[in-house]
Amino acid sequence: MDLSLTEQQELLKTTARDFMEREASKDTLLELEETESGYSDELWQKASDIGWLGMLVPEQYGGSGSSLTDAAVVYEQMGAGPLSGPFFSSGVLGALTILEAGTEEQRQRYLPSIAVGREIASLALTEPDYGWGLDSVSMRAQPTDNGYVLSGTKLFVHDAASATTLITAVRARGHEGMTLMMVDANTPGVSTRLLSGFMGWVGEVTYDSVEVSADAVLGEPGAAWQPLQRAFQKAIPILCAYQVGGSQAVFDMTLEYSRTRIQFGNPIGRFQRVQDHIVNIINHLDAARWTTYEALWKLDSDRLTANGLETSIHLAKAVTTEGYYQACNGAHEVHAGIGVMKDYGLTLHTQMSRTLYHYLGDPRFHRKRMAETLDF
Amino acid sequence: MDFEPRYTEEQQTFRTEVRDWLKDNVPDDLANPADSADTTYDDYLQYRALGRDLGEKGWLWPTAPTEYGGGGLTIDHAIVLDEELDEYSLSLPPYYDSGGRLGGASILVWGDDDQKERFLPPIFKGEVRTWQLLTEPNAGSDLAGVQISAVRDGDDYVINGQKIFVGSSHGAEQYWTITCTDPDGDRHQNLSWFIVPAETPGLTVVPMDLLIAGGEGGAGTGHKNTIFFDNVRVPASNLIGGENNGWQVATTHLELEHGSGGTIRRNRLVDRLFDYARELKRDGQPISKDPEVQELLVDVFVEAEISRLFGLRNYWMRHAHQKLAHEGPQSSYYRKTSGLRMGEAILKILGPYALTDDPKWDKSDSHMEVFQRSSIVALHPGGTAEIQKVIMSRRLGIGRQVREQAGRLA
Repeated sequence: MDLSLTEQQELLKTTARDFMEREASKDTLLELEETESGYSDELWQKASDIGWLGMLVPEQYGGSGSSLTDAAVVYEQMGAGPLSGPFFSSGVLGALTILEAGTEEQRQRYLPSIAVGREIASLALTEPDYGWGLDSVSMRAQPTDNGYVLSGTKLFVHDAASATTLITAVRARGHEGMTLMMVDANTPGVSTRLLSGFMGWVGEVTYDSVEVSADAVLGEPGAAWQPLQRAFQKAIPILCAYQVGGSQAVFDMTLEYSRTRIQFGNPIGRFQRVQDHIVNIINHLDAARWTTYEALWKLDSDRLTANGLETSIHLAKAVTTEGYYQACNGAHEVHAGIGVMKDYGLTLHTQMSRTLYHYLGDPRFHRKRMAETLDF
Repeated sequence: MDFEPRYTEEQQTFRTEVRDWLKDNVPDDLANPADSADTTYDDYLQYRALGRDLGEKGWLWPTAPTEYGGGGLTIDHAIVLDEELDEYSLSLPPYYDSGGRLGGASILVWGDDDQKERFLPPIFKGEVRTWQLLTEPNAGSDLAGVQISAVRDGDDYVINGQKIFVGSSHGAEQYWTITCTDPDGDRHQNLSWFIVPAETPGLTVVPMDLLIAGGEGGAGTGHKNTIFFDNVRVPASNLIGGENNGWQVATTHLELEHGSGGTIRRNRLVDRLFDYARELKRDGQPISKDPEVQELLVDVFVEAEISRLFGLRNYWMRHAHQKLAHEGPQSSYYRKTSGLRMGEAILKILGPYALTDDPKWDKSDSHMEVFQRSSIVALHPGGTAEIQKVIMSRRLGIGRQVREQAGRLA
């Protein structure tokens, strides 16, 4: 038993933290908040240069083939920003989806470009009848002589606007299951629109008689659901690590504020009602951290018996998503007025905690899955 | 990271040795009732005999130093022992004892050489059982406010006063207690710890009538007692850590009692609850098929998992000598408050079945009914949930720079 990071992981962590301090300061992130994509070309290039987009791409496709825990250590630091941009969408979920569902040829075609940030692949799965189960995918792909025609709407697509390729989930006629299509974002008939509101970089994608060739199908038609679930299993704990990093940053700034804000002649952290909120935040944070890293360990473990693996992943997602949300709420209770001033920086997290709340399944969704994996 | 112990070949050989030994030495007819107060005296004697046999092998306190009668084994060996004993629903020690984990650990840090040689071997070998005496009628959360007085008289101290919420059933050989040695002294500068032999004249033990007895970790506590001290004379050589230095000693003791010791044990309650919910029927189908019941079952599971992970983390931190801050009281706080929430969920899931231990209708060997009571009682031992939050706040330095460090554990 050893719950510490390896030396190499400590190094990854320090490097990532330094990068974030240097390249993604609060002011930079506040500027990026106003952009359509959530990143600047310069930042994207620098992050690509240090390998952040190729961590989960195997070496034979130009990545570094890191373990999930290694990647999580870096994503935790990214979450502390919270760093925006399609890092997770493309470098984790996109890459893993292609790796799990794609043919060898497709892997060779897409993964090396994703690993260096030239290609940005976002998953377009959810629709106006929002949900993360198979039944929620109903968009049709009509077969033609040399391919398919896609029509319909994908909604709440993360990083839709910055995607060069939209990995689009459809029902191909003649096939029972779900099919994934690699749709070039520049194909005529594809249009993306950023949604406004208390969320960041989530969009609508409309497909107006979009013609794609037969080789756009990722893997086999009708057979993508299982590989996609495998990609989810690996991607979810990385997203959790990002949320753990966010929760940690929220805790750190709230603790610091409790020491410096004076009211009634005392630092407000001396008041037990204020302490309650901060204790609550760290309880959420630590629960999130250890459920997340246990799930990662199960995934990375070389002697995996798969015992409880799925339950662990659902547990981590339910606990961590809820934790980040509640950590932000607690932080607002403590910060009061200054917390809602945008230049203070807390609201970057608050909005991110809301944006990620339903992504890849909300806590309720994962609790229901737990009821299945626990076999009641 | 590695969330499970990895065993070397040598440790697996050790496991085989432990398993064979337990098969030969754990009595077949040893009852392990849901409410440990139901343990009979005969069974208690068998548990004590088992403890002595384990102590003889150095397995009772496996990581305690061999020079004082401990096993001198590694954490991984201790885990092997723990896992194998868990197969018998036994823990180390197999009965309530505050000696090894609390008193012994404190003496190891604060005792002088003579005291270590005198007190530790009997504790670590299971020859004596020790009860901790901390709480008084007027000193609960505010432990530093204890009033029981110890007054120097020649080579002895004479102790007068009252302690409550003490120990267990069937007696002990010695007591580990905190007293006030300077009633006019400054707070935190007027306390002293003693080992008091149980047969010393002037001690009276009276059982308390409680909802159920409860304690922080370890084997079930049996029932709790009040102990009256009437001119109890203890040799000065039994004073541990020096006169009026008792608060320092207390920080070590409390650190361990506040959950910093951690645990790698599974909570069997959850498995029992799941089985029960699959068995009980409502409207012609198992209640576990009801979506609302499933939600509650998952709630219980999630809380138990978080509790398990906090315990696991603390177990590792302690044995890997990591610097502890808020983790001990956090684990304790979470266990206490989640226990109450789990009790509520179980009440909703099982309905009135949660409230009965009637042998004809209850199908959990009393475990569910006992938990309805014990989850309430567990709120106070080792510091209330509120006190755990106060300690966490200090350790985290909320509203101030970190002032209070975790107690010394080595």
